[in-house]
Amino acid sequence: MIVPCSGIGKSYGAVSREAAYILTEDARPQSTQLVALSLLVLGDAEARAAVEAQPTVTIDGCKLACAAKMVQDSGGSVARGFAVLDVYRRHRELKPQGIAELNEGGQQLAHALAEEISAVVDDLIAQDEARHHA
Amino acid sequence: MPDYLETTVDKFIFKVATDRYYSAEGVWALVEGDRIRIGMTDFVQQRNGDITFAVVRSEGTALEAGDEVAAIETIKANVSLASPVSGTVAEVNPAMEMSPEVANQDPYGEGWLVVVQARDWPGDRDSLLDPRAYFELMKGQAEEEAKKL
Amino acid sequence: MPDLPQRKVGIVACSGEELAEGTVTRLAALRVLEQLRSGDTVTICLPLFLAGGEGDRAFARFYPTIAVDGCDKRCAARATELYSGKPAASVVVSDLVSEHGLRRPEGTRRLNASGQQAVELTAGRVAGLVDQLLDGQWSRRSGSFVKAEATAQPEDAVQATCSCGSGIPIQKVDVDGRTVSLVALPLIFEQFRGDGKAPGADVAKQLLDIVRIYNPLPAGSDEAYLTALAREYAAFYSQKEAGL
Repeated sequence: MIVPCSGIGKSYGAVSREAAYILTEDARPQSTQLVALSLLVLGDAEARAAVEAQPTVTIDGCKLACAAKMVQDSGGSVARGFAVLDVYRRHRELKPQGIAELNEGGQQLAHALAEEISAVVDDLIAQDEARHHA
Repeated sequence: MPDYLETTVDKFIFKVATDRYYSAEGVWALVEGDRIRIGMTDFVQQRNGDITFAVVRSEGTALEAGDEVAAIETIKANVSLASPVSGTVAEVNPAMEMSPEVANQDPYGEGWLVVVQARDWPGDRDSLLDPRAYFELMKGQAEEEAKKL
Repeated sequence: MPDLPQRKVGIVACSGEELAEGTVTRLAALRVLEQLRSGDTVTICLPLFLAGGEGDRAFARFYPTIAVDGCDKRCAARATELYSGKPAASVVVSDLVSEHGLRRPEGTRRLNASGQQAVELTAGRVAGLVDQLLDGQWSRRSGSFVKAEATAQPEDAVQATCSCGSGIPIQKVDVDGRTVSLVALPLIFEQFRGDGKAPGADVAKQLLDIVRIYNPLPAGSDEAYLTALAREYAAFYSQKEAGL
């Protein structure tokens, strides 16, 4: 399960949203699913069941880590939490700007982030399969 | 834990710790014997946004009041912070290298920048603002910025 | 006499990722915030709001807030009501699209033409609501607009002098061992003292009634809040009387 923060106040939130889409629509459509954070927090049964049943990766824009906190508070556990800020530090040349429309740097940063998350998703699935075969 | 003066502009809450001095540019100076701990105010960190990188003057650097003590980069701005005191950098916050966002999370505590062995604190102090004076200045700045948005 | 806080309207968009309508809410809110009504509006970040953002929640309690939702699950409106108070207005994109006979928006990342139309329509509706809210008097007590000639409303409590100047002051208070932030408390105290109300049991009850308008209080907590408010107001009153 992929839970982005989609924060509207900063470009980082836009990057988190874009990365989540890249992951669930392009990079790993068969093995990932988006869960809307607000549905989860407000008690949507389907959203809650999804995060309880499957490992969850959160994508937060900044270090306030709203998605990670709220997934935990809603009964899920965060298999891995990402913060766009940390990924930006590793790709300093990809400065994100814009919220309604991300600039080129932001788009590329979202791709870089989606790539990092894809590797984690593959690991989590491999671990899960190994557990089932054991 | 210090006490705070606090004001709210729109949805932003700005705090000023009452146990230290301030430059008009938003750098605080906390007296610790003959050493002065320096950091940025809550207003400065909120105005500039999440800190991605911070470059801080190294230990042993001699500073005059007004010299750059740290260069902060956020996605909104590159900010140069001037030292409010003269002296020698005695300690540098190690968090500034890998986790400078601590200055966003705790600007008056764990987010300190450097500690300076002061050369002329009484002289430097005369040019600084007390908490109430900085609070009034900061409030005005915050309200002006809110009007621009 | 200090200036009162500039009136602004908060906008909280659901930004739901699973439907194109969620993207519509986000883009429409940003259009209003950045272009149509940039000086009059403030964005409330929903994830931060849900995670406990004190400033966002306080703003939504004190100022009229418009919830912009993609679908009838109405996450933004429900969250606002849960943590701050009933939104002053609520827009649901799926209803608006239906009302105007538009085709359903498509594309979560890149909206199609219908989606773009929906953005313009929603932004226009929200901008109109902003104008209404700024012109009208929104009563938090009744959750509706009040007539201009109505007698003293809770909003009068806002017309108090405030020692800290403009902005919405928040005061942290110990309530039964817990530290609670109460929006507008310093203003309310100033108003009460200005009205010549000395501390006492009756005045504490009046304080509770006013505080409740700006701060949702947990069920069953009235006694604890009464005790806390009585104590805090007594301390405030004595300080003022002593010239502090």
